[in-house]
Amino acid sequence: MRALRAFALRLGGLFAGSRRDREIADELASHLQLHIDDNIRAGMSPDAARRDALIALGGVEATKERYRDQRGLPMLDTLRQDLVYAARVLRRNPGFTCTAILTLALGVGVNTAIFSVVDAVLLRPLPFPAADRLVMIFATNIKSGDTTDVASHPDYLDWSKARGFERMGAFAGGGMTVTGTGDAEFVSGLRVSPTLFDTVGVNPALGRGFTLDEQNPGAPRVVVLSDGFWKRQYGGAAGAIGRELRVNDAPYTIVGVMPPGFHVSSNAAEQLYIPLTIDPSRNHGFLRVIGRLRPGVTTAEAQAEMQVVTGQIARAFPKSNENVRATVIPLLDAMAATVRTGLFILIGVVALVLLIACTNVASLTLARGAARQRELAVRAALGAGRGRIARQLLTESLLLALAGGGVGLVVGSWTARGLVAILSTSFPVPRIDGTHTDAWVLGFTLVLALATGVIFGVVPALSSASPDLTDAMREASRSTTGARAPRLRSGLVILETALALVLLAGAGVLLKTFATLRSTPPGFQSDHLLAADLRLPQPRFALQADRERFYDAVLSRLRGTPGVRSAAFVADLPLNGGSDGLGFHIVGRPDPAPGKSFEAGFNVASADYFRTMEIPVRAGREFTDADRAGTPGVIVVNETAAKRFWPGQSPLGQRIALPRETRVPTANHERDGDSDADAVILTVVGVTGDVRHEGLAVPPRPEIFVNAMQSELPWPWSVLAVRTVADPESLIATVKETARAADRNVPLIRINTMDRILTRATAAPRVYATLLGAFASLALALAAVGLYGLVSYTVSQRTHEMGIRLALGAERTEIVQLVLRGGLALAGIGAVIGVAVAFATTRLLSGLTAGVQPSDPLTFAIVTVVLMAAAMIASYLPARRAARVDPMTALRTE
Amino acid sequence: MAEKADVWQGTLALMILKTLETLGPLHGYGIARRIEQTSANHLSVNYGTLYPSLLKLEQEGYIASEWGVSENNRKAKFYRLTRAGRKQVEKEAREWERTTAIVARFLWPGEPSR
Repeated sequence: MRALRAFALRLGGLFAGSRRDREIADELASHLQLHIDDNIRAGMSPDAARRDALIALGGVEATKERYRDQRGLPMLDTLRQDLVYAARVLRRNPGFTCTAILTLALGVGVNTAIFSVVDAVLLRPLPFPAADRLVMIFATNIKSGDTTDVASHPDYLDWSKARGFERMGAFAGGGMTVTGTGDAEFVSGLRVSPTLFDTVGVNPALGRGFTLDEQNPGAPRVVVLSDGFWKRQYGGAAGAIGRELRVNDAPYTIVGVMPPGFHVSSNAAEQLYIPLTIDPSRNHGFLRVIGRLRPGVTTAEAQAEMQVVTGQIARAFPKSNENVRATVIPLLDAMAATVRTGLFILIGVVALVLLIACTNVASLTLARGAARQRELAVRAALGAGRGRIARQLLTESLLLALAGGGVGLVVGSWTARGLVAILSTSFPVPRIDGTHTDAWVLGFTLVLALATGVIFGVVPALSSASPDLTDAMREASRSTTGARAPRLRSGLVILETALALVLLAGAGVLLKTFATLRSTPPGFQSDHLLAADLRLPQPRFALQADRERFYDAVLSRLRGTPGVRSAAFVADLPLNGGSDGLGFHIVGRPDPAPGKSFEAGFNVASADYFRTMEIPVRAGREFTDADRAGTPGVIVVNETAAKRFWPGQSPLGQRIALPRETRVPTANHERDGDSDADAVILTVVGVTGDVRHEGLAVPPRPEIFVNAMQSELPWPWSVLAVRTVADPESLIATVKETARAADRNVPLIRINTMDRILTRATAAPRVYATLLGAFASLALALAAVGLYGLVSYTVSQRTHEMGIRLALGAERTEIVQLVLRGGLALAGIGAVIGVAVAFATTRLLSGLTAGVQPSDPLTFAIVTVVLMAAAMIASYLPARRAARVDPMTALRTE
Repeated sequence: MAEKADVWQGTLALMILKTLETLGPLHGYGIARRIEQTSANHLSVNYGTLYPSLLKLEQEGYIASEWGVSENNRKAKFYRLTRAGRKQVEKEAREWERTTAIVARFLWPGEPSR
C-alpha cells in the first residue's frame, strides 16, 4: 500500500512543475545557510565557512536532479517532456499542424468508414453456432456457367448423403399470402426442409420445428413463425402455439416460434416457415441448400466430394442432370457475394487514399525537418543524443497521428453513415444495418493511426536525427543552398500523383460505364409506365380459368379508368430480376443435335403487353383479346430469336413444339403427328423489338412470349404493367384499388414506376462511380496539396536565387515558367506511372458491374488532363509568389 | 510489495526515522549532523542521497514536513515523524536487530548473542 501511495504521489509529481523545483532549491539554500552558521560559530572566517559548506554539500544540480527523479518517474518524465514539447512545437505551426491532422483524418476516416461496413457485412460471424462450418451448396450448370443455380428436390436429397457433411437443409424462398384479417398480406416466407433448423443449429424458442412426416404431400399443414411475426400478430403470447393461421388460402396450425433475430435468407428477414413438400421431379430446381461440414472437413474437400456425387447423379439421370454439378461456398461468402468484390475494391481504394495522405504528411514533415535543421543542430550541439532527438521527432509524429486518428474517427462515422445510406438504398446489402462504431472499429482506427504515425514519422526522424552540425549551422546563415527540390520529397509527390491518377482513372471508367448504360435504350418506353408485382395464391389460382377470370377482371376495369392508356400482364418484367429459359423444337426442322433442343428466353404475356410497354412490333401482330384458351396456340418472338432460329426467312406462321413435360402452354394445341404425342405446338404470329431483359449491359437474348391466357403453368407471379396518360405516380392508388377490387385475396407486393426500376438497373455503376469518384477527388485534392507544399517550399528556398535572376533582368513570366516547369515535371512523371498502373488495374473493376470497359484511352486522356490541370493550379500559386519577389528584399535576406 | 532497497538507503532511512523519534521535528541539516555525531563521525551523510531519501519517506507517509524557523532564526524545512512513521521505526528496528543477530551468529559462532 505504501508503495502504491508513493507511486501515485510520484505520478502526480510529474506535473508538479516549477513550484516543487523552487522548494528543493530553497531547502538546499537553507541547508547551506545552517551549515555556514555552524562553521562560523566554530570559528571559521565567513569565506572559509562558506567554502567548506559548499564543498560538503557537493553538486547542488546533481542533488536536485536526483531529487527530481525521486519526485517523479524518470522515464515518464522524459515522455512528458517530449509530449509537452511536441505539443508546443505543433501549436506554434498551426498551418502545418492543421494540414497534417486534416490530411490524416481524411485518410484514416475513409478507411474507418469502409472498415466498419466490411466489419458488419463480411467479418462479423453469422449468428449461428459454429457458423464457420456452414456452407451453401449451389447447383451449377456446366454448360451455362451459372454457379449459383437452384437445386431440384431429388438432387438435394441425393446430395445430403455426401459424407463430408454432418447435415444438409434446403429452403425455397418466395413469399406467402396471409389472409383472414382484412386485406391479404404478402409476407416473405420460406418453405424449409425438416432438417434446416438443425443444420444451422438454431431451434425454435417456443414449440417445435418440423418433423420428417410433415414434408409428405397431404400431411397436416403446420407453420413456424418468426419472432417478429409472432410479436406483431400475437403480441408474443405463448398461446399462439396451436392456433390457426391462413396461409396461401389454407389453414395452418402454428407449431413453433423461432428466436429473435433468426433468419436464413440474406436480404429481407423472412416471417414464416412452412415445410417443404417432397417434389419428385429433377427437371425444375427451386431449392437453396445449406450444409454443415463435419468438423475438420474443408470446403475444398466437400467440393471434391460433391463433384463425384453430382457426376454419379448425372450418369444416372442424363436427361435432366447432364449439365448439373454443384459448387460449395462458405455461407458467409455466399450471403455477401453480391457486394464482396465491391467492398474489396473499396478497401483497395481507401488504402490508396490513406497512402497518399501519409505520403503527404511525410513530405510536410520532411519540409519542416529541413526548416528545423538549425534547431536540431543546436540541440545536438548541447548534447542531445541521436536517439533522444529521433524519439522527440517520433513523439511529434505519433501525437499528430493520434490527433488525426481522433478527428478521423469522427470523419469515419459520418462517412460510414453516408456509405450505408448510399449502398442500402441502391441495392440489397446483407447485414449492412449492423454497421456501427464498435470496439473493433475503434481498435482498427487506433492501430491505423499509430501505424501511419510510424510510417510517416520514421522517415523524417531518421533523416533529421543526425544533422551534420557544422553544415547545419552554416546553412542556417545562407539560404541559397539546397535550391533544388529534395529528392525524397520529389519521389513522394510523384508517388501520390501516380496514385491519384490510378483512382481518377478507375472513377472515370466507372463513370463512363454508367453513362453508357444510361444511354442504352432498354427497348421499351420507361416513362408513364407503372409496374405492380402481384402474387396469385396457389391453390386458389391453380386452374387456368381462375387466372383468366382475374386477369380479365383487372384489365377490363383498368381499361375503363381515366388516365390509363393501356394495361397488360407479364410474368417477368424486363430489368425486374426475374427471367426464365425454355428448350423447344422447331416443327419441320432437325434439332441442333440429337437429344438437344433450341434454347431461348421464355416469358408469358397478356394481350396489349407490347403496346403497353411500347415495344415495337416489327412483323405480324401482338397478342390480342381474341387469343384465348380454346383458340390456336400463338407465340410472339423477338428480333434476336427471329434472326437466330429463322435466319433469312420470316418466322411468321412457323411452328415450334414444346415438350409436354414442361407443361407450359396447352391451349387448343394441335397434335403433331410425327413427334412426341405429348408436345404442344404453337405458331409464331408476331416479331417484336429486342428488349434488354436481364440488364442494360447484357445483350438481348432470343425471347419467346407465350400468351398468358393459353398458359397452363400455374404461374404465381404476375406483373401488371400500366401505361398512363399523366404522371404515373398519380395512378398508383387507383391501380392498387383496382387490383383489390378484382380480388382482395391477391396481395399487391409492390408498385413502382418503370423509371425507378430503370434507375435501379444502373444502381451498381452509379453507386460505385459516385464512391470511387468521391475518393478519387479526395486523392486528387491531397496530391495537389502535396505538390503545392513542395513547390512552395522550393520557392521559399530559392528566394535568394529568384532575387538575383530578377536583378539581372529576368522577366517575371520566366520565373513563373521556371517554377511551373518544376511542378509539372513531377506531376507528369507521376501521371505517366499512374496511367501505366491504371492500364493494369482498371480491369479489376469489371467485377463490380457488367459493361465495364477497362483501359479506355479516352477516359485515361481526360483524367490525365484533369490531373495536370490540378497540378498546374497547385504549382501556379507558388510560382506567382516567386515572381512577385522584390529583388532588393530577396538579396537582403542574407 | 516490499522493495529491495539497497542496504545503505534502507539504513539511512532507519537512521533518519530514529533521529526524528529521538529529537522530534528537525531540518535536513540537523538530521545529517545528528547522524554524523551519533556515528562519532564514522559516517558522512551524502546530501545527494539525504534529500531524495527524505522525499521518499514523505511520499511513503512516514514523515511529514513543513517550513519553520530554526533555533538561530533561519528559515528551514522541518521534518517530523507521523504515526505510521513511529510504527515503522519499531518495525525496522526489530528487523535490524534480528538481521544483526543472525549475521553475528555467522561471524562469531558459539558466542552468546549480544
